[in-house]
Amino acid sequence: MLKLENYAIKDVVEGINVTFDKGRTYVIMGANGVGKSTLLHSIMGKPSLEVTGSAKFLDQELTEMEVDERANMGMFIGFQAPTSIPGLSNFQFIKQVKKLGVTEIKGNLDHFKDISSKLKLPDDWDKRNLNTDASGGEKKKNELIQMLMMDTKLAMLDEPDSGLDVDGIKSLTTELNDWRTNDNTLIVVTHYDKLIEGLNPDAIFVLKKDHMVGGDKTLADKIFAEGFDSV
Amino acid sequence: MYKQLFGAALLESSPGAENYFTLEQIADYVSTDSYIDGVDFNYWSSKLPQYNKTYKNNLIDLKAQGLPTSKSEQYNFANLRKLYNLEILDAPDVQYDMERFSYLADKYKTIVLNDSRLITTNDLGKKAPFNIQILDSIHVNKNRMSEYIQLLNQEENLSKLTYALTPFPNVIVFPSGSKDTFKKTPIDIKYLNSTEDPVLDCNTTIFDIQYNAKVQLNETVKTSAGQMNYSMYILRENAELTINRTSRDSGGWNIFDSVFICHPGSKLTVNFTNTGSQYTQENFYIKSSRKTEVSINGKNNIFRGNNYHQYVHQKSDDSDNYSSIDIKNVGKEFASTSFIGRYDVGALSVNFDGSMNNENLMLDKNVKMHTRPILDIHTKEIKCQHGCTVSNVNDEHMYYLQTKGLNKTQATDLLIESFLC
Repeated sequence: MLKLENYAIKDVVEGINVTFDKGRTYVIMGANGVGKSTLLHSIMGKPSLEVTGSAKFLDQELTEMEVDERANMGMFIGFQAPTSIPGLSNFQFIKQVKKLGVTEIKGNLDHFKDISSKLKLPDDWDKRNLNTDASGGEKKKNELIQMLMMDTKLAMLDEPDSGLDVDGIKSLTTELNDWRTNDNTLIVVTHYDKLIEGLNPDAIFVLKKDHMVGGDKTLADKIFAEGFDSV
Repeated sequence: MYKQLFGAALLESSPGAENYFTLEQIADYVSTDSYIDGVDFNYWSSKLPQYNKTYKNNLIDLKAQGLPTSKSEQYNFANLRKLYNLEILDAPDVQYDMERFSYLADKYKTIVLNDSRLITTNDLGKKAPFNIQILDSIHVNKNRMSEYIQLLNQEENLSKLTYALTPFPNVIVFPSGSKDTFKKTPIDIKYLNSTEDPVLDCNTTIFDIQYNAKVQLNETVKTSAGQMNYSMYILRENAELTINRTSRDSGGWNIFDSVFICHPGSKLTVNFTNTGSQYTQENFYIKSSRKTEVSINGKNNIFRGNNYHQYVHQKSDDSDNYSSIDIKNVGKEFASTSFIGRYDVGALSVNFDGSMNNENLMLDKNVKMHTRPILDIHTKEIKCQHGCTVSNVNDEHMYYLQTKGLNKTQATDLLIESFLC
């Protein structure tokens, strides 16, 4: 699904060689400030980041592609701190992003309301301004709605648990596990043991300055017990 | 109208040749002694002496003041050099395409204003109980028109020129008995040019909303040539007026002075949108009496290379007035915009509650946007606030929208839409 070779982000990380396969769930961990969020945003093509090396998604080289081209191929990034845009409602946003025709609106609105209800968001969530006057947890849930409603093949979620309460974490875990199939890939940046446990990832990667350390779930257990210097 | 009245005499035009003039030349011409003295001999001078007196005084004032300069507060940021260099075609050679207005035959409750001509749909022209009344050069009522004409004694000098070029103003009266008829079924007012040749059309219009009447006007300003509009709206006691004004660039330019006289208990709402043009100046002058409510809401998306300049001035001389001015401008490449807002709150205007906001979004580095709020307060018992901002497109917003699959153009359009919302 996604393959990074000799991948480097100027002044952040270098020497990254890793493959994320289809039908798998991955967790990325790393010390504060090491560049986990930056890595995800660089894969998505954030213009302010200077990258070298190769990044391929579905065998297509990404490095020269615009951000929206990557998104339209099925890549999705869930922001750690989603941007607020007053004057644009949550569903209006979905409508624009999915370029919905008149006949498609009702079905999509019902789907939107169904997910927001499962996530215990307010009844009028579709009409609320995009990430405006929303709590941190509500913003994260909104990112999840977008991910589920778009044609996402690769989901990269940056600390989706932050700001969520206990019930929210449960809903998040359920929705992500339900979404994950043999045709898509989930990458989650998190330090939260309950989420890691709930997602039951196929692999854990620990990001270092000049390489990545990979392992199974026991790697996370080791980090929780002994810290990042132990790996 | 001045073209019909003074024809070929204007600036010694040569028959058959295309002659171009500037606004300054036209202003100079109507300020000459021979022109001013000539007013005494025109058709209306004996029939409507008050018209003659007010019009002549206006010309004398215009001669004394001249056209505004950038030293005038309301034109500090305006591009007057561009305005005064616009070429205006002498009218006699122009073929007017009145067919443009033939669509009115299939419409209801619509009025076209075109170079002092007032063209209405059939339902509005009829004499019927509580229908609107029209006073123009055809429907003359000496006493009533004399009263209205006296009100056209404005201080602002571009409206003086508009009036100078519109010797016979039109009056539209909404009687008290109409109650909310014209709110439920609004009137469409269209300010249109009849040609795409670069002529200058002028309209001076008085709208009288009589006491307790509730009126909605849906105004369309489409300028395919030059247009100078001077509209006065009189809101009598407890009257309500809502104006939804859309101004679209059709290749011309436009000066629009709107004067609102708000009597006690009246309520005024103006919602407007504008695309700008090669030169647009939109001014609002609001005079509030007592217990008036004023709400001015602008959402202007100024197209590439267009100019849009605005001055909003509210004068409050009595107590318990409420005012909200909220104007948003988006400027695309090479656009130039300015906003100057002024509250004049007099010593007797206690409990004035005012809020003035102007937000500007620049979509490109070469856009010029100016904003200036002015609050001149002469009493203590008030609530007043202002907020004016100029900002660029937020890169984080752009990136966020792009990560969801929108390209740069789609993301920009969505950001404009949400900004103006």
